[in-house]
Amino acid sequence: METKKMCLVLVTGSMDKLTAAGVMLSGAIADDYQIDVYALIHGARAFLKANADNPENLRMAENTDLRPEFEAALKRLNVKPWIEFFREAKQMGDVKIHVCGLAGKIWGGEKLEDFDPIVDDIVGINECITKLQEADIQVVL
Amino acid sequence: MTEEQLRQIKPDKVVDARGTACPGPLLAAKKAIGDIDKGQIMEILSSDEGTKRDVPKWAKKKGHEYLGTIEENGYFRIFLRK
Repeated sequence: METKKMCLVLVTGSMDKLTAAGVMLSGAIADDYQIDVYALIHGARAFLKANADNPENLRMAENTDLRPEFEAALKRLNVKPWIEFFREAKQMGDVKIHVCGLAGKIWGGEKLEDFDPIVDDIVGINECITKLQEADIQVVL
Repeated sequence: MTEEQLRQIKPDKVVDARGTACPGPLLAAKKAIGDIDKGQIMEILSSDEGTKRDVPKWAKKKGHEYLGTIEENGYFRIFLRK
């Protein structure tokens, strides 16, 4: 059976949308999708070493005043931090995380070592477009 | 399977995912299914309402047989045959 492909483009770097992205990623991994994640603009910032494990460096995209409620609920429900969804997905399946070169430079992430170790490479946008063309599921957040 | 038949099952593997929210139980099932052989039975315990529908649909897509669900007090027991 041919492996299905998913391309997840993260323009967002907000903790609420990244959590949603992590949940979707988990669903796709359960179905054995081959997944390429492209982190653009704010998405790239979230994967910086300084930010990946520090959600306080990230904001909420929506209902910013509800952040304490949101965080408390995640804790109560044993929902892991957004970055852990991505780490677990990489351990369980074929997941590649790519950072846009321009986005990296915007936030001071010029080299791969500036990012969390789960990031595979720094790429140009044409590769992202190609993967979007090839994917069975395309998600842009 | 009837509830009575489900209660007679002695699963080859039990995955206790109670206390985790979606997608925790699904990922736990996905991880654990690799530990059993074809024909063996896995039981997933979940307190997450969404899992009750999610796991059977996932099982069907992946070619496993969904045997049924028992609703206990505060959690579900979901049975699959690999």
